Amino acid sequence: MPVSSQPRIIILTGASCPWCGKVKDYLREKKFRFREVNVERDPEGARELRRRNITGVPVVLINNRPIVGFDKAKIDKLLGIK
Amino acid sequence: MTKYEVIIIGGGPAGLTAGLYASRAGLKSLLIERGIFGGQIVNAALVENYPGFPQGISGAELGSLMHQQAVNYGLEVITAELTEFTAGQLYNVSTTKGNFEAATIIIAAGSEHRKLGVNGEERLSGHGVSYCATCDGFLFRDLEVAVVGGGDTAITDALELTRHVKKVYVIHRRDQLRAGKTLEERAFAQPKLEFIWDTVVEEVLGEKMISGLKLHNVKTGQHSTLEVHGVFVAVGLMPNSQSFFNIVDLDDAGYIITDEMMATSAPGIFAVGDIRRNSVRQVSTAVGDGATAAMSAFKYLQERG
Repeated sequence: MPVSSQPRIIILTGASCPWCGKVKDYLREKKFRFREVNVERDPEGARELRRRNITGVPVVLINNRPIVGFDKAKIDKLLGIK
Repeated sequence: MTKYEVIIIGGGPAGLTAGLYASRAGLKSLLIERGIFGGQIVNAALVENYPGFPQGISGAELGSLMHQQAVNYGLEVITAELTEFTAGQLYNVSTTKGNFEAATIIIAAGSEHRKLGVNGEERLSGHGVSYCATCDGFLFRDLEVAVVGGGDTAITDALELTRHVKKVYVIHRRDQLRAGKTLEERAFAQPKLEFIWDTVVEEVLGEKMISGLKLHNVKTGQHSTLEVHGVFVAVGLMPNSQSFFNIVDLDDAGYIITDEMMATSAPGIFAVGDIRRNSVRQVSTAVGDGATAAMSAFKYLQERG
């Protein structure tokens, strides 16, 4: 996939969350680039999650659409991973 | 089709120990894990009852050390989902990353969180409903939450949550805890915990976000509503034995039946850790199961020739 066509991906993580590492590994394996925000160290990030009514990490924001947890099926669908 | 002498299904403490022993015995061994190496313990902030770590050790770190140690001795590992398991001349293991076969199989597929199975739970998962206090606890800073359950996991979660939240209600369907004494004493001494006994959750309430829980007291029959900003579910585990039911004997709850050498009803198949009947579900017992099964597999292969 050409780099320019990749959607914008932000992963919101916590400090001691095993699935956060897993979702990052998965996206790296599938050759997607992403930005990580550790919301446990960033109170504003945590408030932002609350505003979105989200109470779990990891959250994968794909073009600002949130997927809560390492939900492989949803991630695959939004990123067109076969 | 790649051939091994032993294939281990599951990468928690039981599977990783089986892999360590099998590799050190010189057996060509493959371990297949679908999620995270370390199994259920990766969710535990602190493991305090595994010998050798007097200050305790984080579950994630312990899991990662076990993984490293097994790989150091030659265990091959892959991350893949099991798609099919069939018995032929050898046992065939199909996964999302290829097909493998072996004469001996060690099933270490463990168990996963049981859900409450009530209205609102799935819809509000990630929106107030959580299954991992270590992961999500910090998102409930200064709020009031509930933990459902009365075992070691529930009480460990409740105590972990007190670091972040204002108050934790522990909702348990019996009138006493099932957790170990040390944990129980710590829980009773923790002023942020309030116990709601003899009570089950009937519904998770809320639209886009949890607003509370509908409770039912099983002794008095009374119904009530508890306002909380989050609920952590820790009501026990379910064995991941669905792929094996037509090949090995299970008990009524779905756990694999083994003898004291970890042998199942099928020749060359062994089962270890949380997935086997009568497991006390401790890291220390899982590790013992794994070592025993690897030795049993070694002996089986020798006798088979």
